[in-house]
Amino acid sequence: MTKGARLRLVLRDVASGCAFASMAVSGQLPLWTLGLYGVALVAALAGKRLFARRAKLTALLLLGVAAVLAVNVTSGALNLVVAACAFAGLISAHRLLSAPDAATDGQVHLSGLLMVAGGAALSGELVYGLFLVAFGVLASVAMALGVVEAAVPEGEPVPVRAVLRPLATGVTFAVAGAMAFFILFPRLNWNMTGPRAAPGLGPATTGFSNTVRLGGAGTIKDNPRIVLRATLSPDPGVDALNSYWVGRTYDIFDGLEWTNAGGVRREREPLLTLRPGGDNLIHQRVELLPAYGGRTLIALETPSRLGNAVANGSTGSRRTFLQELAGGEARFLEAGLSYAYEAYSLPPGGSGDTFRRLPSVEQDALLALPEALDPRVSQTAARVLNGEREPLAAAQKLAAWLQREHAYTLELSGEREDPLADFLFERKAGHCEHFATALTLMLRTQGIRARLATGFFGGERVNEGYILRAGDAHAWTHVLVPERGFVTVDATPPAHRTSQGSRLLQRLLGLYEALESRWRNSVVDYSFRDQVDVARALVRPPKGSENTERSRLPPPRAWGAALLAGMVVYAAWRLVTRLAGRPRPHEATRFVDLVEAILLPARLFRAEGETLEDLDARLAREGHPLAPALAPVTRRYLEARFGGRPLRQGEAEQLIRALQRAVTAHVRLEAQRARAAASEPRARAS
Amino acid sequence: MNQPARVLSTAAPSPATARTAMERIAAELGRAVQGKEAQARLVATCLVAGGHLLLEDVPGVGKTTLAEALARACGLSFARVQFTADLMPADILGAQIFHAQTATFQFRPGPLFRQLVLADELNRAPPRTQSALLEAMAQGQVSLDGSTHALPSPFTVVATQNPVDFSGTYPLPDSQLDRFMLRLSLGHPAPDVEAKLLATRGRAPPLDAVQTVSSPEEVDTLRTLAAELRLDGTVADYVVRLARATREHGDIERGASTRAVLALGAAARTQALWEARDFVTPGDVRAVLVPCWAHRVLLRSAVQGVAARDEAAHLLEELTRKVPAPR
Repeated sequence: MTKGARLRLVLRDVASGCAFASMAVSGQLPLWTLGLYGVALVAALAGKRLFARRAKLTALLLLGVAAVLAVNVTSGALNLVVAACAFAGLISAHRLLSAPDAATDGQVHLSGLLMVAGGAALSGELVYGLFLVAFGVLASVAMALGVVEAAVPEGEPVPVRAVLRPLATGVTFAVAGAMAFFILFPRLNWNMTGPRAAPGLGPATTGFSNTVRLGGAGTIKDNPRIVLRATLSPDPGVDALNSYWVGRTYDIFDGLEWTNAGGVRREREPLLTLRPGGDNLIHQRVELLPAYGGRTLIALETPSRLGNAVANGSTGSRRTFLQELAGGEARFLEAGLSYAYEAYSLPPGGSGDTFRRLPSVEQDALLALPEALDPRVSQTAARVLNGEREPLAAAQKLAAWLQREHAYTLELSGEREDPLADFLFERKAGHCEHFATALTLMLRTQGIRARLATGFFGGERVNEGYILRAGDAHAWTHVLVPERGFVTVDATPPAHRTSQGSRLLQRLLGLYEALESRWRNSVVDYSFRDQVDVARALVRPPKGSENTERSRLPPPRAWGAALLAGMVVYAAWRLVTRLAGRPRPHEATRFVDLVEAILLPARLFRAEGETLEDLDARLAREGHPLAPALAPVTRRYLEARFGGRPLRQGEAEQLIRALQRAVTAHVRLEAQRARAAASEPRARAS
Repeated sequence: MNQPARVLSTAAPSPATARTAMERIAAELGRAVQGKEAQARLVATCLVAGGHLLLEDVPGVGKTTLAEALARACGLSFARVQFTADLMPADILGAQIFHAQTATFQFRPGPLFRQLVLADELNRAPPRTQSALLEAMAQGQVSLDGSTHALPSPFTVVATQNPVDFSGTYPLPDSQLDRFMLRLSLGHPAPDVEAKLLATRGRAPPLDAVQTVSSPEEVDTLRTLAAELRLDGTVADYVVRLARATREHGDIERGASTRAVLALGAAARTQALWEARDFVTPGDVRAVLVPCWAHRVLLRSAVQGVAARDEAAHLLEELTRKVPAPR
């Protein structure tokens, strides 16, 4: 095999691998298909075409695989789209291991196309996009090399270097063209076909459930994925905001789990007012990213108004209503992959809620204790407080004690019967939920009203706004202070309140998330509406431009866009007319191309400027053994081409077959002669 | 000595019969000038294509013999005019003679009124006489004192020139050269042919061996047939592209004229008859390209005579490799 052919096969196989990877990144393919495909790809790259001799027999294996997948689908273990994708991957694997001829190449590329289509249905994420581009480039280059290889006479080297440059230009043009097509061509959204994977790096990690359960390891703390971006006004301008971002609160603890009294409070509101606000509210424009994964709105403590919410789904963005649930939780009514909304929060210092205005169920819950509460909790609280009755001072005293006496840890294994007692008296170590629960309950044993709040703590400055990471998820305590409302007291040691991930990883993840959101906004969620916006942006002045002067004339941008469009249309028209004006190759010309291809094995080439007519005359002069076979072919070609007597139906095939036979016989004879000539001296030598 | 011509029927010959006729003529020419088969074929081509022939060669290689043999083989009336410095137009065209009895002028045709005229050493005559001949060649008629006299048909001029010795000559202007369809040079015969000549020439003049195998009528029929051969649009385009290539070539001062294009087409049509084809291929065009155009292109270099023709031929052959033929 020549160097060019080997390069082509490697490119082809890697392209197929990329296509498969574009499906695999969705994480939905069954593990065994990944294994099978991986083995096939490695074998193919090592040049081991295991199925080369038994293509038909081994195709039975595919039948078996199809049966397994079908059983999985009917039993409901596998989605039909996923199964189809897996099957396409295994077909490709089978073709990779078959004998590498032109048909197989075509099938590998075709299955590659199927796989990227499947990948689009399964995930369509940024990583998918990367693999898609890699597949497109590699497969194009491999196919082009195949074409060049077919045109080069047997035994001659393929001019890989000379070919790669125009190829690269061509591929660049193709990619640019595809992008232009993507941006401008009216599009249909077909994202709803398959089960879509969670966006980004696998499933979302946070999210709010209706309960908080103590116990288990808190793996979340080292997760650096960004879940929220917010711009604040007035802008605090600090690098680390170190603020509490509340999601919801809990008031009933049963010894294991925190829940809420009461259910849905308001069903469907465009704007939620949780509590009245003054003049000095902090405005936040918040974006919840796909890694967040929940439907609960987050706002700086203490939220006053929430609204103007937009849910971004796979089918576009739309406004969504809000719902108010127990525990002061605001939820989006419609699910989306990411959300945007605005919030107004009270400045830190207290929620302003008064006990009397709370719903009665909540009033009762704020002092409720689990039935099986360890008596030591109450005793310890009383001992630590030592007569302190003022709620805030008491809470701070208890928090200081908790921080002093207890260690922060995420390594908590196993379920405990009484996690609170276990934290306070046995292990003396836990994470934020343990600290917050302990503080809340210890306060309640002393008759001080308190509740658990969950959300995020922190706020890292990025550009003009702040971000929160999944690892910033946090729990703390709200103490009800007369005249001030609920005041935040955090029992968790300050060093462990924000996320604990490594700095470098955070930075890398930040980069990825930024790219990913850009990909999502400008590719996956790019809709017809966005197209209209692009077109509009071409003709209208940008928003907020200084020039407000009204004129009846279209703005310069419109002229520019029209000029550009005109130039593009003109260039396209030139190209089309040139292509259309180019005479179609005569039937006889195609025939003569075929004839010349047949003559190649006999090492008969046209010299520079020579035609088949000249070649025929030359062979006749030289008395070449193929001259008699070529003469009738040449004569018919000339008649068909220049004499106005076209080839009859099937005549070309007949002439070609006859010539082919003559050439084959001639080549065989030559080879025999060459062998005889080669063996003769050896015979003499022995 | 002339035998009755075995004349083809004049009713629409096929390309195959035309080839036979042309081969017969060429074979007779080959008897007179031995070892020059290619040139003999080109001479026949020129006759059938209806063009005039320019033979450029040193003296004594059989130019005159070839012309005479052509006349004899085709049964054409023949005149040989030796062009000299004092030859006047009236000497070849003819003159009005006063008849005393009838008191009228009567036209007495000159030697030009023959079917085949050999203009020997054309470049020795003064330009006036040259142009009188060339005008007659172009028009096919002679105008004298207000009356027009048609030349016989077929009418062919074979002119000879010595390309080496230019002293006392009036070299033909390029516009005049353009009127000759083909230009040939015979060259010295091969040594064995020359030796055979030496042995046999003494016995019988070579022309005696030439028999009349055709007739003026047949030549006319062949001409009609050749003129009607199919010239595909792509081949015509090829001819035009070749002409343009000569006009754009850096080493060529003046390229092929439109008359040259037409002449090449006519010559290529006749060339196709040699293959018994009723259509023209690019190969036919290339086969007659050099004899048809080498004398028509004016080179930038200062070479003259034989060297100029060789260089022109070389350039034209280079062009056939560069200008892609239709496929």
